[in-house]
Amino acid sequence: MNARNTTGVPAEGMRRRRFLTTAALGGATIVGASALGGLDADAAFAAEPSLDPAIAKSSFVEGRITGITGSVLEVAGSGGGHARVQMTHVTSVWKVRPATAEVIEVGDGLYARGVPMPDGTVAADAVWVNIVNLDTTIRGIARNRVHLAHGQHEVVGNILTDTGASYAGRGLTSDLSRLRIGQSAQVLGAWRPSDDSVDVVRISVGH
Amino acid sequence: MACGSTSLWAGETSWFCCGNSWGPCGSAGGGACGNCQSSAHHGAWPNASANCFSITRPDLCGENIPRRGCGSVMNVRHQCSGATVCITITDCGPRTKDWCGEATCCNGACRTNRVLDLTPAAFSAIGNLSSGKLPVYIYE
Repeated sequence: MNARNTTGVPAEGMRRRRFLTTAALGGATIVGASALGGLDADAAFAAEPSLDPAIAKSSFVEGRITGITGSVLEVAGSGGGHARVQMTHVTSVWKVRPATAEVIEVGDGLYARGVPMPDGTVAADAVWVNIVNLDTTIRGIARNRVHLAHGQHEVVGNILTDTGASYAGRGLTSDLSRLRIGQSAQVLGAWRPSDDSVDVVRISVGH
Repeated sequence: MACGSTSLWAGETSWFCCGNSWGPCGSAGGGACGNCQSSAHHGAWPNASANCFSITRPDLCGENIPRRGCGSVMNVRHQCSGATVCITITDCGPRTKDWCGEATCCNGACRTNRVLDLTPAAFSAIGNLSSGKLPVYIYE
């Protein structure tokens, strides 16, 4: 249970807000981005709140990375426009699995959540690189890949050593032998820009 | 239209892409309402229309979800963190029938059946995209 102060606002939330305010106004204190809770990739399931409800206006960035200048990612938005994402030493990075900023490459796609800074950058709390969550149908199964239909398009899914499967809502297992052609499958994974395939992190089938 | 606080539903939410995007999502299109955008706080509802309902069939999972069409506004709250995001319905989904009985839990309390899909912008406002699913309460 989160500690609360006399106003009913979680004490942890107060600290986060103060930290964020300092970051937003001070400019240089970009470590404040961690206040959004991105350090733990699965924090949404944690016992303690992962996100401060008071921080309702976090910034969101989407697009392809066109350049990396020091700790700043230059991002071309898919719908036009341009954004600059400031990475910090506490930014949570996901690329197939939790990672560090070194794995990010020009050409990658990303979704980023963060705090708008006075210089126009977004100090990133969390960056998800190439992440996709696709509603698909299994069209083919091979030893190291699955062939998927996503809408009208074919997608090759690469099976990794740690790819997990979930059957009928149950927990993850490394046993992929129960996948069947024709099944609807939700695929959480990472797009490979080099060959347009997807590395499958988790494949979920219903029945 | 402002987001309200009247309980509407509860269940799992997942996320999806729409509109202009990259990778496999590049051809996702604007969704059933034509204006869905991954970068906006949008969502997909299983009963956005009669045609939508016939595809998603939440009733097969015991969910008699009410009709809420394009432009409907909902307040989505993470069951445990309390983080909320106000969304506009711009698409049809998820296919609830494919995931009957699937549960997502936090703090030992679970929500069952996929009853909402959120865009990456909306989902990441209340949770982490790498989790894939969240237990939520929905208000209007």
